[in-house]
Amino acid sequence: MSTDKSLALAGDGYHDEPPLVAGNLSFHEVTEMVAMHTEKKTPLAWYGAFSIANIGLMVLLVMVAYLFWNGIGVWGLNNPVGWGYAIVNFVFWVGIGHAGTLISAILFLFRQQWRTAINRSAEAMTLFAVICALLFPTIHVGRVWVIYWTLPIPNQMEMWPQFKSPLLWDVFAVSVYFTVSLVFWYVGLIPDLATLRDRTTKKFRQKVLGFFSLGWTGANRHWRNYEKAYLLLAALATPLVLSVHSVVSFDFAVSIVPGWHTTIFPPYFVAGAIFSGFGMVMTLMVIARKIYGLENIITVNHLERMNMVILLTGSMVGFAYITEFFIAWYSGVQYEQYAFINRATGPYAWAYWIMMSCNLLFPQFFWVKKLRRNVAFMFVVSIFVNIGMWFERFVIVVTSLHRDYLPAAWDYYTPTAVDVLTFVGSFGLFFTLFLIFLRFVPMVAIAEVKGVMPQADPHFYEDHGDGHTAGHAVEPARP
Amino acid sequence: MIELPVLDAAEAQPSRPKFWRSVSHLKNDPAFREMAAHEFVPGAADGPGAASRRQFLQLMGASMALAGLTACRRPVEHVMPFARKPEELIPGLPLNYATAMPFRGALRGLLVESHDGRPTKVEGNPEHPESHGATTVFEQASLLDLYDPDRSQRVVRNGDEASWQAFVDFCRQYATGAASRRVAVLADPSSSMTMQALRQALTAAYGQVRWVTCDVDPAAQGLAMAFGQRVRARYDFSAARVIVSLDADFLGSTDRDMLHNTRTFTEGRRMEEPGQEMSRLYVVESSYSITGGMADNRLRLRSSEIPALAAALAARLGLTGVAGEGAAFADHPFVVEMANDLRQAGRGGVVLAGETQPAEVHALCAALNSRLGSVGRTMHLFDTQAPADDTDLAGLVAAMNAGDVDALLILGCNPVYDAPADLDVAGALARVGETIHLGLHRDETAAACRWHLPMAHYLEAWGDGRAYGGTMSVVQPLIAPLYEDAHSALEVLHLFTTGTERSGYDLVRDQWKGLLQGDFEKAWRRVLHDGYLPESGYAAMTATASVPAGYRAPAVGPDDLEVVFRLDPKVLDGRYANNAWMQELPDPTTKVVWDNVAVVSPATAERLGVRNELRNGKYYADRLQITVGDAAVDLPVWIQPGHADNSVALNLGYGRTLASNRPEHTSNLFDLDSYVDVYGHGAIGSGVGVSVAPLRTTGAMQVAVGAQATVSDEEYLVVTTQDHGTLPDEMHEARTRGIFRMATVAEYRANPEFVREGEPELIREPWEDYPALWQNNHPTTQPGYKDNPYYKNQWGMVIDLHACTGCNACVVACQAENNIQVVGKAEIGEGREMHWIRLDRYFVSPTDSVEDPHMVLQPLPCMHCENAPCESVCPVAATVHSPDGTNQMIYNRCIGTRYCANNCPYKVRRFNFYNWTKDLPVQVRMAQNPNVTVRSRGVMEKCSYCIQRVREVNKRTNVEDRPIRDGEVMTACQQVCPARAITFGDLNDPDSKVVAKKQSDRRYELLAELSVKPRTSYLGRVRNPNPRLSSEA
Repeated sequence: MSTDKSLALAGDGYHDEPPLVAGNLSFHEVTEMVAMHTEKKTPLAWYGAFSIANIGLMVLLVMVAYLFWNGIGVWGLNNPVGWGYAIVNFVFWVGIGHAGTLISAILFLFRQQWRTAINRSAEAMTLFAVICALLFPTIHVGRVWVIYWTLPIPNQMEMWPQFKSPLLWDVFAVSVYFTVSLVFWYVGLIPDLATLRDRTTKKFRQKVLGFFSLGWTGANRHWRNYEKAYLLLAALATPLVLSVHSVVSFDFAVSIVPGWHTTIFPPYFVAGAIFSGFGMVMTLMVIARKIYGLENIITVNHLERMNMVILLTGSMVGFAYITEFFIAWYSGVQYEQYAFINRATGPYAWAYWIMMSCNLLFPQFFWVKKLRRNVAFMFVVSIFVNIGMWFERFVIVVTSLHRDYLPAAWDYYTPTAVDVLTFVGSFGLFFTLFLIFLRFVPMVAIAEVKGVMPQADPHFYEDHGDGHTAGHAVEPARP
Repeated sequence: MIELPVLDAAEAQPSRPKFWRSVSHLKNDPAFREMAAHEFVPGAADGPGAASRRQFLQLMGASMALAGLTACRRPVEHVMPFARKPEELIPGLPLNYATAMPFRGALRGLLVESHDGRPTKVEGNPEHPESHGATTVFEQASLLDLYDPDRSQRVVRNGDEASWQAFVDFCRQYATGAASRRVAVLADPSSSMTMQALRQALTAAYGQVRWVTCDVDPAAQGLAMAFGQRVRARYDFSAARVIVSLDADFLGSTDRDMLHNTRTFTEGRRMEEPGQEMSRLYVVESSYSITGGMADNRLRLRSSEIPALAAALAARLGLTGVAGEGAAFADHPFVVEMANDLRQAGRGGVVLAGETQPAEVHALCAALNSRLGSVGRTMHLFDTQAPADDTDLAGLVAAMNAGDVDALLILGCNPVYDAPADLDVAGALARVGETIHLGLHRDETAAACRWHLPMAHYLEAWGDGRAYGGTMSVVQPLIAPLYEDAHSALEVLHLFTTGTERSGYDLVRDQWKGLLQGDFEKAWRRVLHDGYLPESGYAAMTATASVPAGYRAPAVGPDDLEVVFRLDPKVLDGRYANNAWMQELPDPTTKVVWDNVAVVSPATAERLGVRNELRNGKYYADRLQITVGDAAVDLPVWIQPGHADNSVALNLGYGRTLASNRPEHTSNLFDLDSYVDVYGHGAIGSGVGVSVAPLRTTGAMQVAVGAQATVSDEEYLVVTTQDHGTLPDEMHEARTRGIFRMATVAEYRANPEFVREGEPELIREPWEDYPALWQNNHPTTQPGYKDNPYYKNQWGMVIDLHACTGCNACVVACQAENNIQVVGKAEIGEGREMHWIRLDRYFVSPTDSVEDPHMVLQPLPCMHCENAPCESVCPVAATVHSPDGTNQMIYNRCIGTRYCANNCPYKVRRFNFYNWTKDLPVQVRMAQNPNVTVRSRGVMEKCSYCIQRVREVNKRTNVEDRPIRDGEVMTACQQVCPARAITFGDLNDPDSKVVAKKQSDRRYELLAELSVKPRTSYLGRVRNPNPRLSSEA
């Protein structure tokens, strides 16, 4: 297929879907393009990035050690505000962890084939984000050395955890989510690990990859079982996407704190999580496709679709913000009303308006197609989304707590340097893990991308054997 | 056994505890030695090895029997336990001893709990005719003073450590030439009979003796002026119909007769049903006091203008000779109405002046009371039969400067710190040959004296004295002095007089031999046991007061700035400044901790251009340089609603310089131990706040008019436990949320259930609609719960806001009872105070104006919700309901998620952000209640309804197989309350007081609309404002 032709086939935008992989690549080229990054000599730039990420990780470790040594007092928490950065960061990271499974499971079930370009890295991002998320509730307890009491382990005290507590539900929800996401990601990796195994000449690498690719040969039976397993796991992961953040939102919704006690929280949190997750995927992919030269696999078309999701979920989140205000007024409950007026006009109004502008306002620019397809612009917006969603959690957690029922108990929360550095350090942890992923694991699902290329069409080589028929297969004449 | 480093450092101590088996053993009788050597037949007691079974049992038995004596360093003298016979002494069970605490020249009857020989909790003596079981904050905090690690421990001579023996030697030599020596004594006011006798002995022994009392008591001077003789006045507010307070904070902790005032005031305002009558309280004051908070009508007025107002009031009531002075206020509506009300009340009217007012105003008030006929009815006079104290410090200083004093003995007071600045006491001390200071601390005066002697705390030494109304008591020690050099003022005075040592026990007993009739030992034991000598009050007397001649009200221009000096409600004159509980206690009205501030009104602040900037929830106050005459002090400003314009209120007692012998606690960068150690940085009181003493002069000890105030550039962090938001916002929310419910008498009569007015509707549907969810499955209905023996009692509490004055006593009592740790200024600034009961202060005005609002104080402990929101959110079930209906915190199960605190609508839960007890000095550890867990880092804590006290009574009644009597369990806050505002008891007992209170029509539950079903209820306040002065009546 000539370049001219493929351009023509890119269609007029009404009847035709542009090909998911640009650049008229062959299967081999795709394999090369992805696999080489795990095989070539480690570039210096990677070392540079890894060092920076590691410094962040060290900061995190030092901060956590400092916290464990001295106590929760090193954070800025106080009496009315019992939760601060740690819980904000927890919800923030769990939210980010949503995009991966959504992309790989839900979009898989909906046959959104454009997901193949980004699902591997999005899933990896999910895992690492959930690791960061799990860190925070673990370290935020006052006596971390007995944190295992939250787990239902038979013990000499004959004490079970208290199953009414949403924090316990969190323990279950997030750990199940992490486990399923890990298994799902790993299962998706098997064919690609086998590809890497087959390509390598080094004995040790062969052994390791051979172990992890579980004896994959690409046989028909393998493929059939694999596809079934993948479908089942996708079906299993799908409800988790919705349940995890619903459960996280119960931490707040189940309480009686004005501003927390809201039935809208589960859907609102899920929408917010998808929103923030896509924001983070966007940030990472825009960088990665540039650095790793994957513009043909992760095309602007893919990014545009992600932007649409961002626009949709951003609007949902914004709608939820406004609904909250309406309900506070409509409920007639003075405390609720004060909580929301205080959010918008009180001492934390700055945080509220950062949240509103980043989450509600900036994504609205994606109504304009030109901006939606502008990589630089979408990168900026994705950063804003990340910031806005962090502030959303800050607004929910802190502004609700700092002024609740009795004015005599009101106070103000100011984070300390330890709070901030722990948060910064969690990015160090995240990027350390992500850089390891980029270096050692194929960052794009090679097998799946091949599956959505024109060559994968069984009729591609019919007629002249040059793909013409397959090319025509996407023409409007052929439904 | 707790070992004190100093004690163990010194060798061969005569006061080391001795073990003895009997008195004859103690005296080492030969007969006893003989008997002890042959207790058993030879061989029977000897085992094969070093310690036989028999010896072991003997030793164990002896140690058990003597455990109380060995562990506690109790004095050898016989101390009578109050409630239980000594043979009932069981290790682990506390004993209560009756004693008394000297406070501003009078004794307060106390009952002190002692655990294994350590005094751990101070209560009022319930049988004492004047304390009735209540105390103020100071008695509560005095316990921590005993264990103050910065207490002076050794005798100091010329700045070097010396020994007690050195001082004894000095006295022996000095007393030999006594007849030719001129000595002076500077002492705190004292009612001690023994002290009086020693004073006479001193006068007889030395050539010339001058005894000056460190006290400023305009009330005494004024009464002497008005009645022509020395009398003491006590007010019976229960008989009063109209009370006019002219800057008198008679309900405040600093008042000499606070307990009696509060009790009678509450009695005079009982409003159990709408038909009752209550007194009306007018308060004219410059600075908001808790008395002002209780006022029905309050006028904010500069203290320096009050003499003129008093004159106008007197003129209106027909006193002659003062009308001219009161011209400015002659037609002031407040004066007119007060005069009308007083005239109508007649004998039920009472006028009293505060300590900021000059003696003339006190005299005029006495004349007014005479005129009204209330002397003998609401104002009782006592003849104390004591000569007037010589308080002429200026005269003494002049004599010292002139070289007319050979030796000066300073007993307890601290003139270098708090004497008028124009006297230069430190300079005068240098001119005296021998200066001897006896004090609890090596303070400012100690540093200026040749000798410093550590004083024994009142819980360590024998003493005696009389209560405000004259009831005699013996001050009975509960523990031998913690530091061997420490001696009481009586002992030092005796030593100085005679050159020989005599124990305080003997001195006091000698004195009492003349006071007790009949069999002395029996009567003595009785007094020790009861804590007071019955029928020993001062003789009541009547007299007629006359208008003081030449009454002059100071001329004050409308824009003249006055400075008013007051005793601090927490550290008094500075003697409680080294008490961490007191520093941490929020000021009752400003809620400021660990500081003193220059309090001004919002309008004055604006005029002076100062502000309290709220930044990140903390107040950064401008500093105000206040100049009076040549002296200036620099204080952070505090803007207080309801304060009089052009008046600056300053509290005494801060800016102390106390020596500490403990090393500075330092820790490495990574370790916050030194930050967490509140006691680790020198003496607690050193450097806290600013001393305002330099502004006080002999002529202006209370009020200085014509002060200058300028703003300094610096700003200063002022830490409060409240007010982290902007005030009008808080005021609006507090008013509309129905948190503190009150009504006028008229409103109450019109609608006895006024507390239900505007009661917010239940936010959620009532749980009754979900019986399956709530009632049927509620844990309290489960068999495991109902079968529990505790189930038959269901505890509840009622707090009567009508009675509560907000004096803070409950806060400190709770702190002492429940081992609540002190966290220091920085941590309170972070919002991490630990008090389990707090007094929420709200300003209320119909328009949310901050100029002249009402101030109310609301005690807030844990509400023990039946449907507790904290319980359901804990992931590890660390907070659960007890079968007797309290919400309990299981410290060793808590992992510290703080979810419960977030979900508590009252925000009464307190989190241990750090390990507050890691480096607690060993002395302070001794103050802890062994029946209450000392919480570790990372756990939540909160009010437990004093569950340890409940369980103690449970144990007793289980053994005795009887139900718990009403009133048998008292929470610490309830027990201490001078206003009896807190009622605690069993809701299952239909005859209990708490059930009766719960049936009051004034009862409401805070935030009841949340369906949390609080066990603690409030009774709304009824006010009795003059309808002609107030729009609300």
